[in-house]
Amino acid sequence: MSESNPTDPTNLEQRIQDAIKNPKNLGEMEGADAVGTVGSADCGDMLRMWVKFTEKDGKKVIDKATFQTFGCETAIAVASVATELVAGKTVEEALSMSGQDLSAPLGALPPMKIHCAQLVEGALRSALSPEGTEPQAEAPKAAPLSPSLFDQLNAGTEGKVKIILDK
Amino acid sequence: MSTIHPNLTMRELLEISPGAQRALFRRYHIGGCSSCGFRPDETLQQVCERNENLPVDEVVAYIEASHEEDLKIQIAPGDLNELLKSGQSLKLIDIRTREEFETAPLPGAELFTQEMMQESLMKWDRAGLIVFFDHQGRRSMDAAAYFIGHGFSNVKSLRGGIDAWSQEVDSSVPRYRLEA
Repeated sequence: MSESNPTDPTNLEQRIQDAIKNPKNLGEMEGADAVGTVGSADCGDMLRMWVKFTEKDGKKVIDKATFQTFGCETAIAVASVATELVAGKTVEEALSMSGQDLSAPLGALPPMKIHCAQLVEGALRSALSPEGTEPQAEAPKAAPLSPSLFDQLNAGTEGKVKIILDK
Repeated sequence: MSTIHPNLTMRELLEISPGAQRALFRRYHIGGCSSCGFRPDETLQQVCERNENLPVDEVVAYIEASHEEDLKIQIAPGDLNELLKSGQSLKLIDIRTREEFETAPLPGAELFTQEMMQESLMKWDRAGLIVFFDHQGRRSMDAAAYFIGHGFSNVKSLRGGIDAWSQEVDSSVPRYRLEA
């Protein structure tokens, strides 16, 4: 509907904000046929996707896909648009989509956010792998990173130390 | 002469300027999570180059001014107390462990959870006042910077954490220390 320039970073930011204000297909799916996960909630960069199949014209197609993520807002936005894109596609068609394809409705992602789309691609591949739950392709991981602000934010969510009350 | 220069590794940079990571995320969305993180052995110059060729001199100048920016994020325990007594609408978020939350609670605070994290980015008012606190006010600075970097415009960190609150506002809140 918008005629704005898809490569304009201001428009990208707006589209991401729009997507996370009203995310589609968010949350665990009861009775899913397949589930795929990449990353780990412990390190903050987890994305899980549930998929339900249906029959259409004699072919098995994706009826619905949902997601849950503790990644950043770009990951939420990409997952939201990606779950809409894959609905109605066969497994082969969905597996042929790259992270760039899956995030296309948001426009071109800047280099620093491409990893978010790869995270979504990895979760989808994990869910659609022949075994159903075994990862077929992990989202690419970079070399070990310094602790991020997100790591600091989550460092208090697990009890790892004793609390000694002062007198 | 600046002690921060483009050829410092990120490890060296954070040793010299612990607030640098908060500054980088607040302004440039770098170092917030693993999607936008950096390696300890990368130089500041390299990080700038792979982030859309950010002008490294400008980045250095911003990091050098980051201490002032950190001070602006902080709220003193007495000031927070006045806000709470005045009935000011705010979210008071405790990022400590559940054990600490239960041992030394600050009335009205909510314990930070993964579910809250997700809800916050999607549903919270980005102009609303959010105050983060931890034990002694260190990690809560990172938490505040993380949210500022995500477009929240009115985020604070309780200076000195619950420990300062206990000393300056409410001595009925027990003081404690943590041991591994």
